[in-house]
Formats: sequence, structure tokens, C-alpha cells
Amino acid sequence: MSDFTFCTVQYDSGDWDSAPLVPANLIDSVARYTSISVAPTGVIVPLGSAELFKYPLAYLTGHLPVRFSELERRTLGEYCGRGGMLFVDDHNHDIDGVFHKSAHEEIARAVGPLKELPNTHALYSSFFKFDDGPPATTHELNGWGDNLVHKHLLAVMRGDRISVLYSSKDYSSEWGYHPDNKRFLSVDNTKFGVNIVVYALTR
Amino acid sequence: MTILERVERARRTLRATAIAAAALRGLAAALGILLLSATVDAFVSLPAGARRLVPFVAAATAIALFLRRLSRAGVRADAGSAALWIEARFPSLRYALVTAVDPRYEGRVPEIERAAAQVSFEPAVRRAARRALTGPSIAVAACVLVLLVLPAGAVARVIRPAAGDALSRVRAGSRTNPLASMVVRVSPPAYAGLRDESFDNPASVRALVGSAITLEGVAGDGQVVATLGGSRTSASPSGDRWRLVLAMPSAPAAVRLHAAAHERLLVLEPVPDSAPVVVLTAPARDSILRKPSGRIRLSATASDDYGLASGAFELIVSSGGGENFTFKSRTIGAATFASRSGELAATISLDSIGLQPGDMLHLRAIVRDRNDVTGPGTGTSDTRTLRIARADEYDSVAVDPSPPPEAEKNALSQRMLLMMAQALEKKRPQISHATLVGESRSIALDQTRLRKRVGEIVFTRLGEDTGEQGDAVQKRLDQQMNPDSVLAAADRAASAAAGTALEGDHDETPLLALNRPLLEAYNAMWSASGELEVGEPGKAVPFMKKALDALQAARSAERIYLRGSTRAVVVDIDRVRLQGKDKGAPGARTPRPAADPSRDDRIRRFDAALRLVRTAPSAAVDSLLLLRLDLLDRDMAAARAIETAANTLRGGHDATSALIRARRALTSVPSAPAPLTSWGSPP
Repeated sequence: MSDFTFCTVQYDSGDWDSAPLVPANLIDSVARYTSISVAPTGVIVPLGSAELFKYPLAYLTGHLPVRFSELERRTLGEYCGRGGMLFVDDHNHDIDGVFHKSAHEEIARAVGPLKELPNTHALYSSFFKFDDGPPATTHELNGWGDNLVHKHLLAVMRGDRISVLYSSKDYSSEWGYHPDNKRFLSVDNTKFGVNIVVYALTR
Repeated sequence: MTILERVERARRTLRATAIAAAALRGLAAALGILLLSATVDAFVSLPAGARRLVPFVAAATAIALFLRRLSRAGVRADAGSAALWIEARFPSLRYALVTAVDPRYEGRVPEIERAAAQVSFEPAVRRAARRALTGPSIAVAACVLVLLVLPAGAVARVIRPAAGDALSRVRAGSRTNPLASMVVRVSPPAYAGLRDESFDNPASVRALVGSAITLEGVAGDGQVVATLGGSRTSASPSGDRWRLVLAMPSAPAAVRLHAAAHERLLVLEPVPDSAPVVVLTAPARDSILRKPSGRIRLSATASDDYGLASGAFELIVSSGGGENFTFKSRTIGAATFASRSGELAATISLDSIGLQPGDMLHLRAIVRDRNDVTGPGTGTSDTRTLRIARADEYDSVAVDPSPPPEAEKNALSQRMLLMMAQALEKKRPQISHATLVGESRSIALDQTRLRKRVGEIVFTRLGEDTGEQGDAVQKRLDQQMNPDSVLAAADRAASAAAGTALEGDHDETPLLALNRPLLEAYNAMWSASGELEVGEPGKAVPFMKKALDALQAARSAERIYLRGSTRAVVVDIDRVRLQGKDKGAPGARTPRPAADPSRDDRIRRFDAALRLVRTAPSAAVDSLLLLRLDLLDRDMAAARAIETAANTLRGGHDATSALIRARRALTSVPSAPAPLTSWGSPP
């Protein structure tokens, strides 16, 4: 079996590369907690490229308005239709921000409307157990962005499986540090990322 | 009255009688066809297409019969034919009448005219006219009588067939199944501008979301109740009919109609109103502007399936960077539309927006349609981004004057030394040898100093620590890197760099390759210094020229700016593998479902419906309709095939071929548009 490779989505509009350390941090966590065979570096794949179909999980973030081209929209729809899972995180952590609004629109056009994901969903127990749903980030607790602690993640479901997972919690900031610095944390805050990877690979 | 006038009157009477009789026969035939069709339709519902043909067939038959009868009538336009008709009925005339009316003998034989005048043939003409008209008149009257006796709806169904007249042939009654015959009228929302439509006994109805669906049937056994989703609606009585109004939902649904022991399904198939399609035609592409000033023309085209309502351009200005972004938005160029397509145009003044360096201006067109029921649908164009360049990135968009780089300074100095050496060589015959050597060594000293400066540049780029006083460079220049070794390193670098990228395995190699011209200059300067040291400026000039050329080459070398690439973090998987303190609690893994797990279930349901076809056809139809409902959003071809089969079954016809097609559509192997590659590592 091939190694799992973390894939970051590059889209034409916006700042898709605003969280360059998140892939390495999650790769480190996947290796640290699981026996999943994982590639040591991630890849960056244009959203409009058929290369995307090689990766079961794709990560998309940014601060700026997201406007997909027709090709990107079509590729994303096909990617989700073929069983791929897109994890979108609002780096603005602001539900009144342009990323949130524009990404919602684009995801609705490409895949379908986002709906609240119940906190009892299998995603929260796919590896680590998160009884209260998605873990809060320091950005939420500090009152930055929209000054909200979001109770739910959003998702586009295809059957009983998540096709698009959307977070307003700004995990991109929370996980945006060099993995070697993980030793300074009393509690690893990237464990939820492991759940996302494990869910994408096993469900 | 002369005999000729009497015969002419008889001819007119006979001719009129023949025409009237032919017309009555044609009319009787047409009425007979209508009567026959209405009678057959009363027992076996004729298809609407067949009923639409009936009036044409009746008219064509009437005309054909009329013409045929008229052509076979014995009396024509001349008096001779009437005289012959009379002679045939009065043989005693012995052709006296024919002779009397013949123009060739008119007035010449009075005896014949007198003999003909004695015969009274008018009563015979009248009797013949009555006989000819009586039969057809009775037939017409009988047909009219029967048609009047038939229900008005039944006759109207064949005279003026129209969609939705299925109820005309059904009579209300306490034993009548109120769901046996049903008409569905669809009234699309007003904004769509579509006409109302009616359907007789449809199995499913396709209509725009929000359309009013009116179900109508003949009152009969029990109250009609419709169940749609979780809501129940009772039909309201309207004369001897029941009526029920529903709204077309946004998702396919089945309406279950109940009345006493009767049940019927109706599939509602919504047609969504598409959002407008918007194309931003100007500006054509993203761009970077040096200054936030000037005017930009915006234009966009839009189209919609039912009609556009309004549109505008949206501008979003994002300022800041990193974690701190601010946004402000506005709209310009608002316009209203009254058609299905339109254009938007506007001009923006960048000065009025207040853009700052580093700001980004996002432009897009937004158009809304006229949908006031489930909308309005909003269409947006792709976004164009205009960025205002920051001052520190002008070199990538526009270059301001700046001090010359070090290489250019060296070039100027080398040119000066070259000119000094050439001048010294030129005045060599006029000066003494000692003076020549002294001035030559002075130039050599400057040449050596310049050589060391070039060396500093080269080795600083290579990452060497030159030290505050340049001791390391001096040491390297003087002890380790003689010209041969430097050139050898340059050759190796150049040859190695040809096959490697800038970020190759060895950090020095590409940089040495980039410094190759400087290393050549360095070597040439070394040789020039040697010649100058021994008082041979003429021999030093070629080396100095070579050094100057090399410096020029270095000055004009391509400059490469590396921007935006972040340093890749490579995780040491082996080091961190399973070093996490928390091991998690993974749940039981379940494999991913097959590509289409419901396919087998659908085939099972289809087979179950087939088993009901012989014993309970209506239940089989309902099962097929429910199966079609599930297929509407995933397999349209199979849904259509099943709809055809269900309609065929409901019409009581042989549905074998339709069912075979439906099963083939259900069981066809799904194909992917392109072969899937396995999940894998980057190529």
C-alpha cells in the first residue's frame, strides 16, 4: 500500500499558502500516534488538476475571498464524488469574514450546501475521542476573529460520509508551528487532525 | 311557359337536389364518425393524439363523399341531361323532349314540341327530389339526436380534444373510484412566464419548483386525501368533482392519494430554477498595479433560464497581511433587466476607493434572477483581483534607479586600469625602464587590490566568513585558491550546474556556476598582475581586457529572484513514529461502501415489482413509481425507463419490452469517466 501523503490544495484566488507548517505538523502527528504509513512531506496540488484524485484527503485554507474557476469547481465536485474528502479551515476564524462567506458559496456551488456536523459524529471518535465535539482553539478562547467558540463543524455529506469538512475554528493558526516545537506543549493540540486523517482513510 | 323553360326548371330542381343530397350524405358520414369515436371513447379511452385526428378524418370523409356523390349525379348543367332524365321516366315521349330542347331543332318542329308539352313531368321531379333527400336527412337527424343524447363531455372530447379532459368521460357515482381518472393542472410561478399545462392521468409531473399543482378527479367512493411527506391534505369538493392543490416541492417526492380502499401514487419531479450564468468580460485577467489611480472599465454578460432581475458589480478591498486583514465592500453599476440575458457595465475610479500599497481589489459581477418563489437565484462571475504593488516589490513590477552593484564598480575600475596600462605602454619609448617598471608596479598594485575585491564577492556568495579584515579571503586567495584551482572549481561548477536545479544537492555548485564570470575575471587579473609586476604593461593588456569582458558578462548575467517559497519541513518519520504519549482509542474500522451500495437494493425492488405485475398490476405500478422516485437524483436514464414501463402497465398494455429496457438501465454497470489512480505518494 502506498504511503498516505498530506495534500494541500492550491487555488487560483486568495492566499492558499497561508499555513505552510500545518501539513508537516499533521504528518508528524499521524506518525507520532498511529502506525499509518505516511510520507515525510506533503504535496501542493492545484485544485483544477487531476492530480488531486491521487489523495484521499485535501486541505484548503486562506484569509482572502475564495473564488473557484469553473475547472476548479468541476474538479472539486468530481473529487468529492469519487470519495475524496476536503478539509477547509477558515484562517480568519471569522464567520463574518470574506473567506467564510465566499468559501461557503463556492463549496455550495461545487459540492453542496454545508450543514452542521453533529458532535456525536464518527469523526470525533475515529481515533481520539472528543466527547464535546471539535476541540476549541486558542484563537477562539482568546476572543479573536468573530469572538465565538464554535460548537460545531460544518460538513457536506455524501451518504453517511463527509465529503467536505469545514471549520471556522482556525486550526490553521492553531497547528501552524514547526512540529519540533510540539515538545513544549503539555497537551498536543493536533490530535484532532489525526482524527481527520484517520477518518478520511478509513470511512 | 314553353317546354324549354319547363325542362330548365326541372333541371335546376334536380341539380339542387343532387347537391343537397350529397351534402347531407357527407354530413351524415362525418357525424357518424364523430358518433362512433365518442362511443368508442366512452368505453375505451382513446389517446389524445387519436382524438385530435377524429375531426380531421370526419371532415375529409364528408368532403370526399360529397364530391363523389356530386360527380355521379346524372343531371349536369345543360337542359339535355334533364330531358334525358325525364325521357327515362316517361318512355312514351320517344325522345320528343330531347329533340324539343335541342338547340339545333328549336322552333323547327312544332309537332314535337306540342307532343312533349302534353306530358306533365313536374310531379315526377318533385317525387324524385323528396326521395333523394329523405334518407340522408334522416341519417343526419339521427346522428345529431344521438350526439345530443351523449354526455356533452364525451362529444367535446372528440370535437375539441384537449389535455385535461379525461374527466369528461367519467361519471360521478358512489361506486366510482375517485382516483381512477385524474387530471393534473400545473400553474408555473408568475415570474417564469410559462403557460399552464394539463395532464391526463400522469404517473409523474415535472414542473418548476413552487408551481401550483392542482389535482382534479370525479367524486366517488370516499374522501380523497393526499399525503406528501408528513403532511395530509383533504380534497375539497367542487360540484361532482374533487380538487386538491399542492405546491411543487424542491426535492422529488411522491404524493400518496387515498380514498376509501383506493390508493394511487403521483410522483412530483421538481425542475429547479437555475441561477444566472455570469461572465466577467472586463477586466479580462488579474493584474498588479503600481499606483492606485486611473479608471477601470467593468463589463459582464449574464443569462438565465427564466429571466434576469437585477445585477451589479461587487468590489471587495482587502488590506493588511498575515493575521490582520480588513475588508470593505461596495457595489457599483447596479442595473435591472427585463429579459433572459443582459449586460452589465460600469467604470470605477481607483482614486475614489482609497487603495493603499499592498491592498487587493476583488471584482466580480453578481446577478439575480426573477425567482420570487424559491429565490432569487444568484449568479456570480469569476473574481478578478487587482493588487497594488508595495514599494519593496517594485523591482518585480518596475525598477527605480539604484546604485550600481559591486560587479559594475569593479568593471569601471578594471576599465580604468586597462586604460592606464595602455597609456603606459604607449609612452613606453619615451620613459626610462625604471620609470616604466615603477608605474607598471603601481598599476599592478591596484590590479591586485581589485582582484582581491572580486575574490571577496565570490567567496562571500559562497558563504565563506571573510572576517573583519578579510584574513580568511586573503588566506584562501593566497594559499589555497590559485588561479588554476579557482578555474577548475568554476569548470566543475559550470558542468555540474548544467544538470542540476538551483536548489540542488550541493549548495556550492550552483553558486559557483553563477560566479563563473567573476572567477574568470579573477584569473585574468591574476595574470595581468604578474605581467605588470615585471614591467610588461603591453603583455598585461590582453589579460586585463579578458578580465573586463568577464566582469561585463557577470554584470549582464540574468538575475533570479526567489520569492514566496517556504522552507519545506521534512518530518523525520522514523524518529517520531509512535512517540506520542496518548495512543488514542480508535473504534472498529469499517470498510468503505461499494461505489453504489443501493444498486442491488434497487434491483431487488424492481424484481419484487415484476412479481406483482400479474397478480396486482396497480401495486406493481406504484412500486415502480416509488423506485423511480429514488432514482430521480442518481440515475435519470433508469428513472425514465421505469416511468415508461409504469405508464405502459397503467394503460393496460403489454409492458414486456418497456420492463426489459428498465431492467437493463437498472443493471448496467456504472462507468467512471476516467480511470482512478491509487492513493499514493507524490510522483
